[in-house]
Amino acid sequence: MAILNTHRAHIIFFHLVAACCSVYAQTAASGKPVVNQDSLVIASFENSVKEYMKLHNKAKAGVPPLKPTNSAHAINQYQRLLASNTRAARPDAKQGDIFTPEISQEFKRLIGMTMKGPGAAKIQASLRHAEPVSKIPLQVNSVYPEHVPLQSSPPSVLLNLPPLPPELDYRIVGHDLVLRDVGANMIVDFIPGAIPSP
Amino acid sequence: MRMASPSLSSNAKAAERRVIATAATALTSDAAVRPSVSPYQSACDLPNEQKSVHFAVIGDSGTGGSEQYQVAQQMENCRQKFGFDFVLMLGDNIYGGKSQQDFERKFEQPYKALLDAGVKFYATIGNHDDPNERLYKPFNMGGARYYSFKKENATFFALDSNYMDSSQMDWLDHQLQITSTPWKVCFFHHPLYSDARYHGPDLDLRAVLSPLFQKYGVNLVLSGHDHVYERFKPANGAYYFLLGNSGELRYHDLKRSADMVAGFDTDRDFMLAEIAGDKFYFQTISRSGQVVDSGVLERPQR
Repeated sequence: MAILNTHRAHIIFFHLVAACCSVYAQTAASGKPVVNQDSLVIASFENSVKEYMKLHNKAKAGVPPLKPTNSAHAINQYQRLLASNTRAARPDAKQGDIFTPEISQEFKRLIGMTMKGPGAAKIQASLRHAEPVSKIPLQVNSVYPEHVPLQSSPPSVLLNLPPLPPELDYRIVGHDLVLRDVGANMIVDFIPGAIPSP
Repeated sequence: MRMASPSLSSNAKAAERRVIATAATALTSDAAVRPSVSPYQSACDLPNEQKSVHFAVIGDSGTGGSEQYQVAQQMENCRQKFGFDFVLMLGDNIYGGKSQQDFERKFEQPYKALLDAGVKFYATIGNHDDPNERLYKPFNMGGARYYSFKKENATFFALDSNYMDSSQMDWLDHQLQITSTPWKVCFFHHPLYSDARYHGPDLDLRAVLSPLFQKYGVNLVLSGHDHVYERFKPANGAYYFLLGNSGELRYHDLKRSADMVAGFDTDRDFMLAEIAGDKFYFQTISRSGQVVDSGVLERPQR
């Protein structure tokens, strides 16, 4: 697919250039090949997500499975139970556990790169027209408030972030980036100030 | 359910004439888009051809307010006269709370007559919806936030425009590639085109989706989000409609542009549609039963 490939090509190209420059500089200095630090940071994020998914799957195993149902009550009940089990499995979780300072920095760089690129005006317009969510207090392990709309995420930003398993998604709240457990509608972690002002 | 029509050919001819007459039959607050009233204004009057696809469209419907119920009543009136098998929901299906009572008040009760008659609703997720609505069986999403289904010569693609990530893009690319029906209809919440003042078009979404639509010949695109009705000039071989006022309304929100063919921003409405061969017949009907836009559009040739 042309458009997606273009996005990915930009990211890959950027990382390749960064990696080559980094390797060249560091190899030249030390004589030993080194690994691109950005890739390491992303790999570290992916590992944290895998760890969270293990916990999520364990919590899910303790909840009766839910197929499509006529009962909204059953959906809400399932969501509450899953959130409760997941919360119980990580009672001490706090902001920055997954989005460590290094990972937050890398995400800010990736988002900033997208939002200052050729599509910047479109992305900013997309954010403005998406019914921006007013500032709500974010807290790890708490449920995303059901009365507050979920702001849409500009595709260009999403396509430049590391992909997530379907059980998780990225959400924008004001200038913050939230990692959300979809089934539990629960805030897993967030990066304050990840979305730059225009 | 499809009702037989005793006068198919005369209805079809009337609809053919209508396309000429309805360059702009819609009503808006903008003086530039005042109606030029067509003589063909009988609600629920589509050709009703054999083997055609009949459906209705609603957007931003789930308020639970009396206006939503009145639109639903007009839909039921049309179902009895014209018959349609299913309804496309363009998102914001349930505003506010998501309790059992909310689903009853904002969906099950207003559309009870349609549901009892076996009409199926196919939902997409809006920004006011809980993505877990995909598990609500009457929305026919099969537990997925994006999905497709086929009816006769048309394939319908329900997209989640809140979250257009790489997995959804890959899925859409593949599905469009393997779909051979002449009509490819995409429906989702956020509009690629909109002349509403409040939100307007999602340009980033347009930049990502339009090339795909063009590449694979998507010929009809339906969206909501802005609480008005608008029909646009074809863009890249596709007809674009915005319908986000089946429950909510943003009064006098439209501003005319060169892309607008018709608009309506002074009341709620829904769309009645029929795909028959290479033709797309439609009527947009207000909650008082007035036809605010109508016409027949030829499938663009690639």
